[in-house]
Amino acid sequence: MSSRAVAIEIVTHPQVTEISLTKSQLRRIYTMRQLRWSDDSAINVFVLPNQHDLHQRFAKERLQIFPYQLNRIWHKLTYSGLGVAPTVVASEKELIQAVTKTPGAIGYIDDGTLKKIEQNERIKRIESPGMEASQQTRSKGVVNVVKIKN
Amino acid sequence: MLSKLKTNAAVEISNRVHDLNCFKQFTCRSIMLAIILLGYCTSAAKAEEDETYSNSQEFQLHGFISQGLIDVDGSDFVNDDGDVSAELTEIGLNASYQLSDNFRLAGQVVYLDGGNRYSQGARIDYALVDWSAFTSENWQANVYLGRFKNNHWLYSSSRDIPFARPSIILPQSVYFDGFRDIAVGSDGIATKISYSTDDYGNFDWQFSYGKSPISDEQTKNILSEFAQGSAEQNYDAQTSLYWQPSFSPWRFGISLLDAGFGYDRGDAGSGDIFFDSEFNFQFYTMNALYEGENWEFSGEIYQQRFTIDGFYYPGFQLDNIGQGFYLQSRYKLTQKLTLLARYEDFYLNKDDKDGKKMEQATGGAVPYYFGFHKDITLGLNYDITSNFSARMEYHWVNGAGRLTPVVVPNTQINDSEDWQMWAIQLMYWF
Repeated sequence: MSSRAVAIEIVTHPQVTEISLTKSQLRRIYTMRQLRWSDDSAINVFVLPNQHDLHQRFAKERLQIFPYQLNRIWHKLTYSGLGVAPTVVASEKELIQAVTKTPGAIGYIDDGTLKKIEQNERIKRIESPGMEASQQTRSKGVVNVVKIKN
Repeated sequence: MLSKLKTNAAVEISNRVHDLNCFKQFTCRSIMLAIILLGYCTSAAKAEEDETYSNSQEFQLHGFISQGLIDVDGSDFVNDDGDVSAELTEIGLNASYQLSDNFRLAGQVVYLDGGNRYSQGARIDYALVDWSAFTSENWQANVYLGRFKNNHWLYSSSRDIPFARPSIILPQSVYFDGFRDIAVGSDGIATKISYSTDDYGNFDWQFSYGKSPISDEQTKNILSEFAQGSAEQNYDAQTSLYWQPSFSPWRFGISLLDAGFGYDRGDAGSGDIFFDSEFNFQFYTMNALYEGENWEFSGEIYQQRFTIDGFYYPGFQLDNIGQGFYLQSRYKLTQKLTLLARYEDFYLNKDDKDGKKMEQATGGAVPYYFGFHKDITLGLNYDITSNFSARMEYHWVNGAGRLTPVVVPNTQINDSEDWQMWAIQLMYWF
Protein backbone atom coordinates (compact mmCIF):
# COMPACT_ATOMS: atom_id res chain seq x y z
CA MET A 1 0.00 0.00 0.00
CA SER A 2 2.77 2.43 0.96
CA SER A 3 4.71 1.72 -2.26
CA ARG A 4 1.58 2.68 -4.23
CA ALA A 5 1.42 5.95 -2.34
CA VAL A 6 4.94 7.05 -3.37
CA ALA A 7 4.71 6.03 -7.05
CA ILE A 8 5.73 8.65 -9.62
CA GLU A 9 3.83 8.84 -12.89
CA ILE A 10 5.22 10.19 -16.17
CA VAL A 11 2.72 12.48 -17.89
CA THR A 12 2.62 14.11 -21.32
CA HIS A 13 0.49 16.64 -23.16
CA PRO A 14 -2.75 14.96 -24.37
CA GLN A 15 -1.71 15.26 -28.02
CA VAL A 16 1.54 13.32 -27.56
CA THR A 17 0.97 9.97 -29.29
CA GLU A 18 3.49 7.85 -27.32
CA ILE A 19 1.69 5.61 -24.85
CA SER A 20 4.85 4.02 -23.49
CA LEU A 21 8.59 4.78 -23.28
CA THR A 22 11.54 2.62 -22.35
CA LYS A 23 13.63 3.59 -19.36
CA SER A 24 16.51 4.56 -21.69
CA GLN A 25 14.19 6.70 -23.83
CA LEU A 26 12.99 8.53 -20.74
CA ARG A 27 16.59 9.04 -19.70
CA ARG A 28 17.55 10.28 -23.16
CA ILE A 29 14.66 12.74 -23.08
CA TYR A 30 15.62 14.12 -19.66
CA THR A 31 19.34 14.32 -20.48
CA MET A 32 18.35 16.20 -23.68
CA ARG A 33 19.74 13.53 -25.99
CA GLN A 34 16.37 12.89 -27.63
CA LEU A 35 14.62 16.12 -28.61
CA ARG A 36 11.71 14.90 -30.73
CA TRP A 37 8.77 12.55 -30.37
CA SER A 38 8.29 9.76 -32.94
CA ASP A 39 6.02 12.07 -35.02
CA ASP A 40 8.97 14.56 -35.23
CA SER A 41 7.30 17.16 -33.00
CA ALA A 42 9.52 18.88 -30.43
CA ILE A 43 9.63 17.54 -26.87
CA ASN A 44 9.10 20.15 -24.14
CA VAL A 45 10.63 18.92 -20.90
CA PHE A 46 9.43 20.21 -17.51
CA VAL A 47 10.99 19.62 -14.10
CA LEU A 48 10.67 20.71 -10.49
CA PRO A 49 13.53 22.56 -8.72
CA ASN A 50 16.60 20.45 -7.91
CA GLN A 51 15.97 20.30 -4.17
CA HIS A 52 12.27 19.35 -4.51
CA ASP A 53 11.67 15.90 -2.98
CA LEU A 54 9.69 14.64 -5.95
CA HIS A 55 12.47 15.71 -8.35
CA GLN A 56 15.11 13.95 -6.26
CA ARG A 57 13.03 10.77 -6.27
CA PHE A 58 12.16 11.03 -9.95
CA ALA A 59 15.84 11.29 -10.91
CA LYS A 60 16.96 8.38 -8.78
CA GLU A 61 13.98 6.04 -9.21
CA ARG A 62 12.83 6.74 -12.74
CA LEU A 63 16.00 7.88 -14.53
CA GLN A 64 18.55 6.06 -12.34
CA ILE A 65 20.71 9.15 -12.37
CA PHE A 66 21.65 11.38 -9.44
CA PRO A 67 19.99 14.80 -9.41
CA TYR A 68 23.38 16.57 -9.35
CA GLN A 69 24.33 14.79 -12.58
CA LEU A 70 21.19 16.05 -14.30
CA ASN A 71 21.96 19.55 -13.05
CA ARG A 72 25.43 19.43 -14.56
CA ILE A 73 24.17 18.28 -17.94
CA TRP A 74 21.52 21.02 -17.98
CA HIS A 75 23.88 23.75 -16.71
CA LYS A 76 26.35 22.88 -19.41
CA LEU A 77 23.68 23.23 -22.10
CA THR A 78 22.24 26.44 -20.67
CA TYR A 79 25.38 28.37 -19.85
CA SER A 80 27.64 27.31 -22.74
CA GLY A 81 25.13 27.86 -25.55
CA LEU A 82 25.20 24.21 -26.64
CA GLY A 83 21.49 23.62 -26.22
CA VAL A 84 18.36 24.11 -24.19
CA ALA A 85 17.69 22.63 -20.76
CA PRO A 86 14.30 21.63 -19.31
CA THR A 87 12.02 24.35 -18.00
CA VAL A 88 12.00 24.49 -14.21
CA VAL A 89 8.64 25.18 -12.55
CA ALA A 90 8.18 25.87 -8.85
CA SER A 91 5.51 23.38 -7.79
CA GLU A 92 3.67 20.21 -8.77
CA LYS A 93 0.56 22.25 -9.52
CA GLU A 94 2.49 24.46 -11.95
CA LEU A 95 4.12 21.46 -13.52
CA ILE A 96 0.82 19.81 -14.32
CA GLN A 97 -0.53 23.11 -15.67
CA ALA A 98 2.54 23.45 -17.90
CA VAL A 99 2.21 19.90 -19.23
CA THR A 100 -1.51 20.45 -19.90
CA LYS A 101 -0.96 23.69 -21.79
CA THR A 102 2.28 23.02 -23.72
CA PRO A 103 2.19 20.87 -26.88
CA GLY A 104 4.84 18.14 -26.79
CA ALA A 105 5.26 18.51 -23.02
CA ILE A 106 6.52 15.81 -20.67
CA GLY A 107 6.64 15.94 -16.88
CA TYR A 108 6.23 13.84 -13.79
CA ILE A 109 3.75 13.84 -10.96
CA ASP A 110 3.10 12.12 -7.68
CA ASP A 111 0.55 9.34 -8.04
CA GLY A 112 -1.61 10.81 -5.29
CA THR A 113 -1.69 14.28 -6.85
CA LEU A 114 -2.63 12.78 -10.21
CA LYS A 115 -5.56 10.93 -8.64
CA LYS A 116 -6.80 14.14 -7.03
CA ILE A 117 -6.64 15.98 -10.35
CA GLU A 118 -8.51 13.22 -12.15
CA GLN A 119 -11.17 13.28 -9.44
CA ASN A 120 -11.56 17.07 -9.72
CA GLU A 121 -11.81 16.75 -13.47
CA ARG A 122 -14.58 14.18 -13.16
CA ILE A 123 -16.49 16.47 -10.79
CA LYS A 124 -16.08 19.38 -13.20
CA ARG A 125 -17.37 17.31 -16.07
CA ILE A 126 -20.40 16.22 -14.08
CA GLU A 127 -21.06 19.83 -13.08
CA SER A 128 -20.78 21.15 -16.65
CA PRO A 129 -21.62 18.46 -19.20
CA GLY A 130 -21.07 20.91 -22.10
CA MET A 131 -17.39 21.06 -21.19
CA GLU A 132 -17.18 17.31 -21.26
CA ALA A 133 -18.03 17.08 -24.95
CA SER A 134 -15.42 19.62 -26.00
CA GLN A 135 -12.83 17.97 -23.74
CA GLN A 136 -13.58 14.58 -25.25
CA THR A 137 -13.18 15.71 -28.82
CA ARG A 138 -9.97 17.62 -28.12
CA SER A 139 -8.14 14.98 -26.16
CA LYS A 140 -8.34 11.91 -24.00
CA GLY A 141 -7.99 13.86 -20.75
CA VAL A 142 -6.02 16.57 -18.94
CA VAL A 143 -2.75 14.70 -19.45
CA ASN A 144 -1.59 11.36 -20.77
CA VAL A 145 -0.01 8.93 -18.36
CA VAL A 146 2.89 7.18 -20.08
CA LYS A 147 3.94 3.64 -19.17
CA ILE A 148 7.65 3.13 -18.58
CA LYS A 149 9.01 -0.22 -19.70
CA ASN A 150 12.33 -1.70 -18.71
CA MET B 1 62.22 71.59 -2.13
CA LEU B 2 59.77 72.34 -4.92
CA SER B 3 60.27 68.89 -6.37
CA LYS B 4 59.69 67.37 -2.94
CA LEU B 5 56.46 69.33 -2.62
CA LYS B 6 55.44 68.16 -6.04
CA THR B 7 56.16 64.58 -5.08
CA ASN B 8 54.18 64.95 -1.88
CA ALA B 9 51.30 66.45 -3.80
CA ALA B 10 51.46 63.61 -6.30
CA VAL B 11 51.45 61.02 -3.52
CA GLU B 12 48.56 62.85 -1.87
CA ILE B 13 46.56 62.87 -5.11
CA SER B 14 47.32 59.27 -5.87
CA ASN B 15 46.27 58.33 -2.32
CA ARG B 16 43.01 60.21 -2.77
CA VAL B 17 42.44 58.59 -6.13
CA HIS B 18 43.18 55.27 -4.49
CA ASP B 19 40.73 56.05 -1.66
CA LEU B 20 38.12 57.12 -4.19
CA ASN B 21 38.65 53.91 -6.15
CA CYS B 22 38.39 51.89 -2.97
CA PHE B 23 35.18 53.70 -2.08
CA LYS B 24 33.78 53.15 -5.57
CA GLN B 25 34.74 49.49 -5.45
CA PHE B 26 33.27 49.11 -1.99
CA THR B 27 30.00 50.66 -3.18
CA CYS B 28 29.97 48.41 -6.23
CA ARG B 29 30.56 45.26 -4.13
CA SER B 30 27.86 46.26 -1.67
CA ILE B 31 25.37 46.76 -4.48
CA MET B 32 26.40 43.42 -5.94
CA LEU B 33 25.87 41.64 -2.65
CA ALA B 34 22.50 43.35 -2.25
CA ILE B 35 21.47 42.13 -5.72
CA ILE B 36 22.50 38.57 -4.89
CA LEU B 37 20.51 38.65 -1.66
CA LEU B 38 17.56 40.31 -3.37
CA GLY B 39 17.67 37.66 -6.09
CA TYR B 40 17.65 34.99 -3.42
CA CYS B 41 14.71 36.56 -1.56
CA THR B 42 12.61 37.08 -4.69
CA SER B 43 13.26 33.52 -5.80
CA ALA B 44 12.12 32.28 -2.41
CA ALA B 45 9.05 34.51 -2.60
CA LYS B 46 8.36 33.37 -6.15
CA ALA B 47 8.34 29.75 -5.05
CA GLU B 48 5.76 30.57 -2.40
CA GLU B 49 3.53 32.61 -4.67
CA ASP B 50 3.27 29.74 -7.09
CA GLU B 51 3.63 32.01 -10.12
CA THR B 52 3.26 30.67 -13.61
CA TYR B 53 6.50 29.75 -15.35
CA SER B 54 8.04 32.42 -17.57
CA ASN B 55 10.59 30.38 -19.52
CA SER B 56 9.52 28.13 -22.34
CA GLN B 57 11.80 26.06 -24.49
CA GLU B 58 11.37 28.52 -27.40
CA PHE B 59 12.78 31.45 -25.47
CA GLN B 60 14.90 31.11 -22.37
CA LEU B 61 16.63 33.72 -20.30
CA HIS B 62 19.16 32.69 -17.67
CA GLY B 63 21.89 34.31 -15.68
CA PHE B 64 24.08 34.29 -12.64
CA ILE B 65 25.71 36.70 -10.25
CA SER B 66 28.46 35.95 -7.79
CA GLN B 67 30.73 37.86 -5.48
CA GLY B 68 33.57 36.66 -3.31
CA LEU B 69 36.64 37.53 -1.35
CA ILE B 70 40.08 36.20 -2.17
CA ASP B 71 43.38 36.54 -0.35
CA VAL B 72 46.65 35.50 -1.91
CA ASP B 73 49.80 35.37 0.15
CA GLY B 74 53.11 35.21 -1.68
CA SER B 75 52.29 35.83 -5.36
CA ASP B 76 50.69 38.30 -7.76
CA PHE B 77 47.98 35.80 -8.79
CA VAL B 78 45.19 38.29 -7.92
CA ASN B 79 46.88 41.56 -6.91
CA ASP B 80 50.32 43.02 -6.42
CA ASP B 81 49.94 44.22 -2.82
CA GLY B 82 48.82 40.92 -1.25
CA ASP B 83 45.76 42.41 0.52
CA VAL B 84 42.40 40.66 0.83
CA SER B 85 40.59 41.45 -2.39
CA ALA B 86 36.97 41.61 -3.53
CA GLU B 87 38.15 41.20 -7.12
CA LEU B 88 36.15 38.02 -7.46
CA THR B 89 33.04 39.08 -9.34
CA GLU B 90 31.31 37.07 -12.05
CA ILE B 91 28.03 38.10 -13.65
CA GLY B 92 26.42 36.56 -16.69
CA LEU B 93 23.22 36.82 -18.68
CA ASN B 94 22.25 34.55 -21.55
CA ALA B 95 19.35 34.03 -23.91
CA SER B 96 18.33 31.27 -26.25
CA TYR B 97 15.72 31.73 -28.95
CA GLN B 98 14.39 28.99 -31.21
CA LEU B 99 14.07 30.62 -34.64
CA SER B 100 12.60 27.62 -36.40
CA ASP B 101 12.58 23.84 -36.11
CA ASN B 102 16.25 23.62 -36.99
CA PHE B 103 17.75 27.00 -36.11
CA ARG B 104 18.38 28.55 -32.73
CA LEU B 105 20.11 31.75 -31.64
CA ALA B 106 22.04 31.85 -28.37
CA GLY B 107 24.29 34.36 -26.67
CA GLN B 108 25.80 35.18 -23.32
CA VAL B 109 27.41 38.31 -21.92
CA VAL B 110 29.66 38.04 -18.88
CA TYR B 111 31.28 40.61 -16.65
CA LEU B 112 34.39 39.40 -14.87
CA ASP B 113 36.66 40.96 -12.30
CA GLY B 114 39.48 38.74 -11.14
CA GLY B 115 42.29 41.24 -10.54
CA ASN B 116 45.47 40.12 -12.32
CA ARG B 117 43.87 36.83 -13.35
CA TYR B 118 42.26 38.25 -16.50
CA SER B 119 41.27 41.64 -17.83
CA GLN B 120 38.40 43.22 -15.96
CA GLY B 121 35.18 44.01 -17.82
CA ALA B 122 32.28 42.73 -19.87
CA ARG B 123 32.72 40.45 -22.85
CA ILE B 124 30.58 38.41 -25.20
CA ASP B 125 31.09 34.89 -23.97
CA TYR B 126 29.30 33.30 -26.89
CA ALA B 127 26.99 34.47 -29.67
CA LEU B 128 26.04 31.79 -32.13
CA VAL B 129 23.60 30.27 -34.56
CA ASP B 130 22.91 26.64 -33.72
CA TRP B 131 21.84 24.56 -36.71
CA SER B 132 20.29 21.26 -35.72
CA ALA B 133 21.42 19.48 -38.88
CA PHE B 134 20.14 16.04 -37.98
CA THR B 135 18.18 14.60 -35.10
CA SER B 136 16.66 11.19 -34.43
CA GLU B 137 15.99 9.01 -31.41
CA ASN B 138 19.69 8.07 -31.18
CA TRP B 139 21.54 10.72 -33.15
CA GLN B 140 22.03 14.46 -32.89
CA ALA B 141 24.24 16.55 -35.15
CA ASN B 142 24.64 20.29 -34.59
CA VAL B 143 26.67 22.96 -36.31
CA TYR B 144 27.48 26.15 -34.40
CA LEU B 145 28.49 29.31 -36.25
CA GLY B 146 29.80 32.46 -34.58
CA ARG B 147 31.50 32.75 -31.23
CA PHE B 148 31.28 29.40 -29.43
CA LYS B 149 32.67 28.09 -26.19
CA ASN B 150 35.43 25.55 -25.83
CA ASN B 151 33.63 22.34 -24.87
CA HIS B 152 36.59 20.04 -25.25
CA TRP B 153 38.01 19.76 -21.72
CA LEU B 154 36.34 18.57 -18.56
CA TYR B 155 35.54 22.06 -17.25
CA SER B 156 36.37 24.33 -20.22
CA SER B 157 32.75 25.34 -20.85
CA SER B 158 31.89 25.85 -17.18
CA ARG B 159 35.07 27.68 -16.10
CA ASP B 160 33.24 31.04 -15.93
CA ILE B 161 30.05 29.62 -14.43
CA PRO B 162 30.70 29.79 -10.68
CA PHE B 163 28.19 27.16 -9.58
CA ALA B 164 28.87 24.78 -12.49
CA ARG B 165 32.61 24.40 -11.96
CA PRO B 166 34.02 22.35 -9.07
CA SER B 167 35.94 25.10 -7.23
CA ILE B 168 36.36 28.88 -7.14
CA ILE B 169 39.86 28.62 -8.63
CA LEU B 170 40.26 25.78 -11.14
CA PRO B 171 43.46 23.74 -11.72
CA GLN B 172 45.60 26.43 -13.31
CA SER B 173 47.74 24.10 -15.38
CA VAL B 174 44.70 23.37 -17.61
CA TYR B 175 42.37 26.27 -16.88
CA PHE B 176 45.06 28.95 -16.67
CA ASP B 177 43.32 32.27 -16.10
CA GLY B 178 46.11 34.06 -17.96
CA PHE B 179 45.02 32.23 -21.13
CA ARG B 180 41.29 32.44 -20.28
CA ASP B 181 40.14 34.78 -23.02
CA ILE B 182 41.97 32.80 -25.70
CA ALA B 183 41.11 29.33 -24.39
CA VAL B 184 37.48 29.92 -23.42
CA GLY B 185 36.20 29.87 -27.00
CA SER B 186 36.72 30.99 -30.58
CA ASP B 187 35.10 32.82 -33.45
CA GLY B 188 34.48 30.31 -36.22
CA ILE B 189 32.69 27.01 -36.71
CA ALA B 190 32.08 24.07 -34.40
CA THR B 191 30.22 20.79 -34.72
CA LYS B 192 28.89 18.31 -32.21
CA ILE B 193 27.72 14.82 -33.06
CA SER B 194 26.09 12.76 -30.31
CA TYR B 195 25.14 9.11 -30.51
CA SER B 196 23.28 7.32 -27.73
CA THR B 197 22.53 3.62 -27.65
CA ASP B 198 21.21 1.25 -25.02
CA ASP B 199 24.08 -1.15 -25.61
CA TYR B 200 27.16 1.04 -25.82
CA GLY B 201 26.12 4.24 -24.07
CA ASN B 202 26.67 7.84 -25.12
CA PHE B 203 29.29 9.13 -27.56
CA ASP B 204 29.96 12.83 -28.09
CA TRP B 205 32.35 13.96 -30.78
CA GLN B 206 33.20 17.63 -31.25
CA PHE B 207 35.34 19.60 -33.62
CA SER B 208 35.99 23.34 -33.71
CA TYR B 209 38.00 25.72 -35.84
CA GLY B 210 38.38 29.42 -35.31
CA LYS B 211 40.39 32.13 -33.64
CA SER B 212 40.18 34.51 -30.71
CA PRO B 213 40.94 38.22 -30.73
CA ILE B 214 43.82 39.18 -28.41
CA SER B 215 43.73 42.60 -26.76
CA ASP B 216 46.84 44.65 -25.98
CA GLU B 217 46.25 44.05 -22.28
CA GLN B 218 46.23 40.30 -22.86
CA THR B 219 49.37 40.58 -24.98
CA LYS B 220 51.11 42.21 -22.01
CA ASN B 221 49.64 39.63 -19.60
CA ILE B 222 50.89 36.71 -21.61
CA LEU B 223 54.16 37.93 -23.11
CA SER B 224 55.60 40.75 -21.05
CA GLU B 225 54.51 44.06 -19.59
CA PHE B 226 57.12 45.62 -21.91
CA ALA B 227 55.67 44.21 -25.12
CA GLN B 228 54.60 47.18 -27.27
CA GLY B 229 53.52 45.27 -30.36
CA SER B 230 50.40 43.27 -31.05
CA ALA B 231 49.75 39.56 -30.80
CA GLU B 232 47.26 37.69 -32.92
CA GLN B 233 45.90 34.18 -32.94
CA ASN B 234 46.15 32.77 -36.45
CA TYR B 235 44.08 29.64 -35.86
CA ASP B 236 42.78 27.30 -33.18
CA ALA B 237 41.76 23.75 -34.13
CA GLN B 238 40.37 21.41 -31.51
CA THR B 239 38.65 18.07 -31.35
CA SER B 240 37.42 15.84 -28.54
CA LEU B 241 35.63 12.56 -27.96
CA TYR B 242 33.67 11.56 -24.85
CA TRP B 243 32.23 8.17 -24.04
CA GLN B 244 29.91 7.18 -21.24
CA PRO B 245 29.06 3.47 -21.13
CA SER B 246 25.34 2.70 -20.85
CA PHE B 247 23.94 3.53 -17.38
CA SER B 248 27.51 3.79 -16.09
CA PRO B 249 28.83 6.22 -13.46
CA TRP B 250 32.02 6.57 -15.54
CA ARG B 251 32.80 8.85 -18.44
CA PHE B 252 36.04 9.04 -20.44
CA GLY B 253 37.35 11.70 -22.78
CA ILE B 254 40.28 12.73 -24.97
CA SER B 255 41.02 16.08 -26.61
CA LEU B 256 43.55 17.54 -29.04
CA LEU B 257 44.39 21.19 -29.66
CA ASP B 258 46.66 22.94 -32.14
CA ALA B 259 46.95 26.73 -32.17
CA GLY B 260 49.22 29.24 -33.88
CA PHE B 261 50.01 32.80 -32.79
CA GLY B 262 52.01 35.67 -34.24
CA TYR B 263 53.60 38.75 -32.69
CA ASP B 264 54.24 41.96 -34.63
CA ARG B 265 56.69 44.20 -32.81
CA GLY B 266 55.71 47.79 -32.12
CA ASP B 267 56.66 50.69 -34.43
CA ALA B 268 60.25 51.92 -34.40
CA GLY B 269 59.20 54.80 -32.10
CA SER B 270 57.53 52.56 -29.51
CA GLY B 271 60.83 51.32 -28.11
CA ASP B 272 59.71 47.69 -28.29
CA ILE B 273 62.59 45.48 -27.16
CA PHE B 274 61.01 42.35 -28.68
CA PHE B 275 60.95 41.08 -32.27
CA ASP B 276 58.46 39.68 -34.77
CA SER B 277 57.75 36.07 -33.86
CA GLU B 278 55.65 32.94 -34.28
CA PHE B 279 54.31 30.84 -31.40
CA ASN B 280 52.75 27.42 -31.59
CA PHE B 281 50.81 25.65 -28.85
CA GLN B 282 49.67 22.04 -28.88
CA PHE B 283 47.74 20.43 -26.05
CA TYR B 284 46.58 16.84 -25.59
CA THR B 285 44.40 15.70 -22.72
CA MET B 286 42.77 12.53 -21.42
CA ASN B 287 40.17 12.65 -18.70
CA ALA B 288 38.00 10.38 -16.60
CA LEU B 289 35.03 11.13 -14.42
CA TYR B 290 33.21 8.96 -11.88
CA GLU B 291 29.90 10.19 -10.51
CA GLY B 292 28.59 8.10 -7.63
CA GLU B 293 25.84 8.86 -5.15
CA ASN B 294 28.22 10.32 -2.55
CA TRP B 295 31.67 10.07 -4.06
CA GLU B 296 32.88 11.70 -7.20
CA PHE B 297 36.32 11.37 -8.77
CA SER B 298 37.74 13.18 -11.75
CA GLY B 299 41.10 13.76 -13.30
CA GLU B 300 42.81 15.05 -16.38
CA ILE B 301 46.28 14.16 -17.62
CA TYR B 302 47.88 16.26 -20.31
CA GLN B 303 50.91 17.14 -22.38
CA GLN B 304 51.58 20.45 -24.06
CA ARG B 305 54.16 21.57 -26.58
CA PHE B 306 55.04 25.25 -26.79
CA THR B 307 57.39 26.62 -29.43
CA ILE B 308 58.74 30.13 -29.94
CA ASP B 309 60.43 31.31 -33.11
CA GLY B 310 61.88 34.80 -32.63
CA PHE B 311 60.59 37.24 -29.99
CA TYR B 312 63.79 37.69 -27.90
CA TYR B 313 65.88 38.09 -31.05
CA PRO B 314 65.37 37.04 -34.67
CA GLY B 315 66.11 33.33 -34.98
CA PHE B 316 65.60 32.51 -31.28
CA GLN B 317 64.14 29.00 -30.91
CA LEU B 318 62.39 27.37 -27.99
CA ASP B 319 60.63 24.00 -27.96
CA ASN B 320 59.27 22.89 -24.58
CA ILE B 321 57.15 19.89 -23.76
CA GLY B 322 55.23 20.35 -20.52
CA GLN B 323 53.24 17.70 -18.66
CA GLY B 324 50.80 17.58 -15.83
CA PHE B 325 47.76 16.07 -14.19
CA TYR B 326 45.24 16.69 -11.48
CA LEU B 327 43.11 14.34 -9.44
CA GLN B 328 40.00 15.58 -7.77
CA SER B 329 37.60 14.04 -5.33
CA ARG B 330 34.29 15.34 -4.06
CA TYR B 331 32.23 13.85 -1.30
CA LYS B 332 28.59 14.68 -0.61
CA LEU B 333 28.41 14.81 3.15
CA THR B 334 24.73 15.74 3.03
CA GLN B 335 22.40 16.67 0.20
CA LYS B 336 23.55 20.27 0.61
CA LEU B 337 27.17 20.04 1.73
CA THR B 338 29.96 18.84 -0.58
CA LEU B 339 33.64 18.54 0.33
CA LEU B 340 36.45 18.88 -2.21
CA ALA B 341 40.07 17.71 -2.28
CA ARG B 342 42.40 18.06 -5.25
CA TYR B 343 46.04 17.59 -6.11
CA GLU B 344 47.60 19.15 -9.18
CA ASP B 345 51.15 18.72 -10.51
CA PHE B 346 52.52 20.46 -13.59
CA TYR B 347 55.92 21.30 -15.08
CA LEU B 348 56.58 23.41 -18.16
CA ASN B 349 59.46 21.32 -19.46
CA LYS B 350 59.56 17.55 -19.00
CA ASP B 351 63.35 17.59 -19.36
CA ASP B 352 63.67 20.22 -16.63
CA LYS B 353 61.07 19.31 -14.03
CA ASP B 354 62.73 21.26 -11.21
CA GLY B 355 63.41 24.32 -13.40
CA LYS B 356 67.15 24.34 -12.62
CA LYS B 357 68.21 24.27 -16.27
CA MET B 358 65.95 27.23 -17.03
CA GLU B 359 67.46 29.20 -14.14
CA GLN B 360 70.97 28.46 -15.48
CA ALA B 361 70.02 29.27 -19.08
CA THR B 362 68.63 32.67 -18.07
CA GLY B 363 71.67 33.45 -15.91
CA GLY B 364 69.46 33.46 -12.81
CA ALA B 365 67.02 36.00 -14.21
CA VAL B 366 64.15 33.48 -14.03
CA PRO B 367 64.30 31.44 -10.78
CA TYR B 368 63.84 27.64 -10.97
CA TYR B 369 60.39 27.71 -9.33
CA PHE B 370 58.89 29.34 -12.45
CA GLY B 371 59.32 25.94 -14.08
CA PHE B 372 56.47 24.18 -12.23
CA HIS B 373 53.11 24.56 -10.49
CA LYS B 374 51.73 22.22 -7.81
CA ASP B 375 48.54 22.90 -5.91
CA ILE B 376 46.83 21.13 -3.03
CA THR B 377 43.24 22.34 -2.66
CA LEU B 378 40.65 21.70 0.05
CA GLY B 379 37.20 23.22 -0.18
CA LEU B 380 33.53 22.99 0.60
CA ASN B 381 30.32 23.94 -1.14
CA TYR B 382 26.99 24.53 0.58
CA ASP B 383 23.82 24.59 -1.53
CA ILE B 384 21.55 26.92 0.42
CA THR B 385 18.68 26.52 -2.08
CA SER B 386 18.38 25.08 -5.59
CA ASN B 387 19.73 28.39 -6.97
CA PHE B 388 21.89 29.83 -4.24
CA SER B 389 25.22 28.46 -3.02
CA ALA B 390 28.19 29.41 -0.90
CA ARG B 391 31.68 28.07 -1.40
CA MET B 392 35.06 28.35 0.30
CA GLU B 393 38.46 26.87 -0.32
CA TYR B 394 42.16 26.95 0.53
CA HIS B 395 45.08 26.40 -1.85
CA TRP B 396 48.66 25.52 -0.96
CA VAL B 397 50.69 26.26 -4.09
CA ASN B 398 54.27 25.32 -4.81
CA GLY B 399 55.89 27.02 -7.82
CA ALA B 400 55.22 30.08 -9.96
CA GLY B 401 54.75 28.36 -13.32
CA ARG B 402 51.15 29.56 -13.68
CA LEU B 403 51.43 33.28 -12.97
CA THR B 404 51.25 36.19 -15.39
CA PRO B 405 53.10 37.51 -17.36
CA VAL B 406 54.05 34.12 -18.75
CA VAL B 407 56.88 34.56 -21.20
CA VAL B 408 58.78 37.23 -19.25
CA PRO B 409 57.74 36.63 -15.60
CA ASN B 410 57.58 39.15 -12.78
CA THR B 411 60.25 37.80 -10.44
CA GLN B 412 60.14 40.79 -8.08
CA ILE B 413 56.69 40.20 -6.63
CA ASN B 414 56.81 36.46 -7.10
CA ASP B 415 59.92 36.00 -5.00
CA SER B 416 58.84 32.89 -3.12
CA GLU B 417 58.50 29.29 -4.24
CA ASP B 418 55.51 28.59 -1.98
CA TRP B 419 52.35 30.66 -1.84
CA GLN B 420 48.84 30.21 -0.49
CA MET B 421 45.38 31.55 -1.07
CA TRP B 422 41.89 31.28 0.35
CA ALA B 423 38.64 32.36 -1.25
CA ILE B 424 34.95 32.50 -0.40
CA GLN B 425 32.17 33.08 -2.87
CA LEU B 426 28.40 33.52 -2.83
CA MET B 427 26.55 32.69 -6.03
CA TYR B 428 23.01 33.00 -7.29
CA TRP B 429 21.68 31.83 -10.64
CA PHE B 430 18.39 31.53 -12.49
